[in-house]
Amino acid sequence: MVNPCRLAALGMVNALGASADTVAPRLFAGDQSGMTRRDSIVPDRVLYLGEVHGDLPPIPEALQKYRCRNNAVSLAALRQIEGTARAVIDAVGRERVGVIFGTSTSGVSDAEDALRHQRRHGILAPGFDYAQLEFGGGAGFIADYLDVCGPTYTISTACSSGARALASARSLLDLGICDAVIAGATDTLCNLTIFGFSALQAVSSEISNPCSANRNGLNLGEASALFLVTRERGGVQLLGVGESSEAHHMSAPDPTGAGAETAMRAAIADAAVDPSDILYLNLHGTGTPLNDSMECAAVARVFGVDTPCSSSKPLVGHALGAAGATEAGFCWLALHAAAAGELPLIPHRWDGVRDPAIPDLRLVTESDTPVAATHPAVATNSFGFGGNNCVLVLGREDA
Amino acid sequence: MGNPPAKLCAVVAGSSAWAPGVTTPEELEAWIAAPRALERDGHPQAKFLPAMLRRRCKPLTRIMLTAAYGCCTENELATVRTVFSSRHGSINESIGLLEAIAESKRVSAATFAHTVHNAQAGLFSIAAANRQASSSLAGQEASFPTGFLEALTHLNRAPQRKVLLVTGDVPLAETFASLIDEAQVSYGTGLLLASDGEGPGVSLALEPRTSADAPPSPTPWPAAFEFLRWLHSEEPDLTIPTQRTNWQFRRAD
Repeated sequence: MVNPCRLAALGMVNALGASADTVAPRLFAGDQSGMTRRDSIVPDRVLYLGEVHGDLPPIPEALQKYRCRNNAVSLAALRQIEGTARAVIDAVGRERVGVIFGTSTSGVSDAEDALRHQRRHGILAPGFDYAQLEFGGGAGFIADYLDVCGPTYTISTACSSGARALASARSLLDLGICDAVIAGATDTLCNLTIFGFSALQAVSSEISNPCSANRNGLNLGEASALFLVTRERGGVQLLGVGESSEAHHMSAPDPTGAGAETAMRAAIADAAVDPSDILYLNLHGTGTPLNDSMECAAVARVFGVDTPCSSSKPLVGHALGAAGATEAGFCWLALHAAAAGELPLIPHRWDGVRDPAIPDLRLVTESDTPVAATHPAVATNSFGFGGNNCVLVLGREDA
Repeated sequence: MGNPPAKLCAVVAGSSAWAPGVTTPEELEAWIAAPRALERDGHPQAKFLPAMLRRRCKPLTRIMLTAAYGCCTENELATVRTVFSSRHGSINESIGLLEAIAESKRVSAATFAHTVHNAQAGLFSIAAANRQASSSLAGQEASFPTGFLEALTHLNRAPQRKVLLVTGDVPLAETFASLIDEAQVSYGTGLLLASDGEGPGVSLALEPRTSADAPPSPTPWPAAFEFLRWLHSEEPDLTIPTQRTNWQFRRAD
């Protein structure tokens, strides 16, 4: 792709904090204290969840049809970039700004409340609107909040939604149909995903332990990460996108890692870099037995075993549709900090027990020091149900 | 308004549709000649799918995969990039699971895995052994034209590869259907888009709307069917109005 694609500003909220500034120090310290133990949601089961804590901003009166937790979490992230975004909207015009949103839950938790009300009182909860539940509503809310009218839609490809939303934003800029895109993703905790993943036997009763011989599942989380994406040079750039479908199974990855490998190789080729140029890889790293074994095997084939990598999910949980955007956001924070000439790395938190059945990757430890780099490039993996994979390569142009 | 940039053009190399009563190319031709409101319920058998896989396919999946298979050769099925666009996707199945959870019933892992919005894309990938890039999206009442735009972005990124755009929906569960102003019908369409080659050329331009514009009124049949009707007509252009945008399709030869 010839055009630059700048990730010009980032707003985020997740279990580590309510802004990019508060998340960053805890992220690079490998702080797991944001994970919350819950033992009364699923009967006879202990869960650790990556919850968003604290008050959320109110949805404006004129946009009440969009009032739900998912959109309130989006708004918490959006407000962090609102000033910058509005300046760009004023400069280029509201019809030249698009919104590409990612989610796998939308406002399902509010639909759960609405249905509960219906069982008790015979009608859906007052104030519930289908715009809260439908996937497209998350994009519509952001567009109406900012009063923009460029292309507005929601990508929903399970756990690769957030990464794909950024990929589509870059494509729209490249088409020339937008000058700026608000792109990213939000997912919020709900019974549907908690009970669904529990039924799949994919949830751990401890904090997830990716790549370990003792790994036994994931923790669910909630998060939002929204970027202002522009066709400008400089700063943090989305350099490459790699995608693949697995043609294998709806809820299990190809155990060989072939689909993951295809997507990683495509992203590196698209970014026109060599595997050895990637200074850090953020793993999908859910902590389920199958994901980690296929992913580590694929990573070793593409990068060898010397590239520093880690999963950030033991710090914030697996935010499903928002994970790809959140982890791109973590990479953005590292590249942003690299303006000082050193790229900080995210520690891989686990019990340190190697699984002899999977390649011995170079997992970042808490004692690792930042990597000196002038033009660092990093990558992040996202693999979703339905066999939908998306890998992003981000880099810094002017460090 | 001048011609849109070349990147906003595509050749429609193939098209197909399925709805109750519009199940064959001949029935589609008849519908195009005399369009009428579509019917609410129905789905194809989708016998081209292996029995094991077909059993897991809900009506929406059978409809969308029938539309997909209706406009591609076997080789194309395995090699195209795909965009699946649906306003509601598998939301009815999610609602069913929510009701089961509320009643403390067991949640089926397989049912849950098929509630993702990309369930139809995932099952298509498995059925057709397609390993290419695939987007699944929703754009409220603009789901068809936003899907078309997303398909154009794929053509732009990989011009040598055709893109299959599949659009479809089934009626929303009764609990929520009264909340939206939309014809409750079952339908699917397939458009095989290419950057050049044989077939009618179509360009797309976006005209912004403001809140001062009157909101678009509900259409008697889905936008994707309206596009097919226009494609096979002599009319030079087609405007699909949505809340934020007038989507203007024009013949481009």
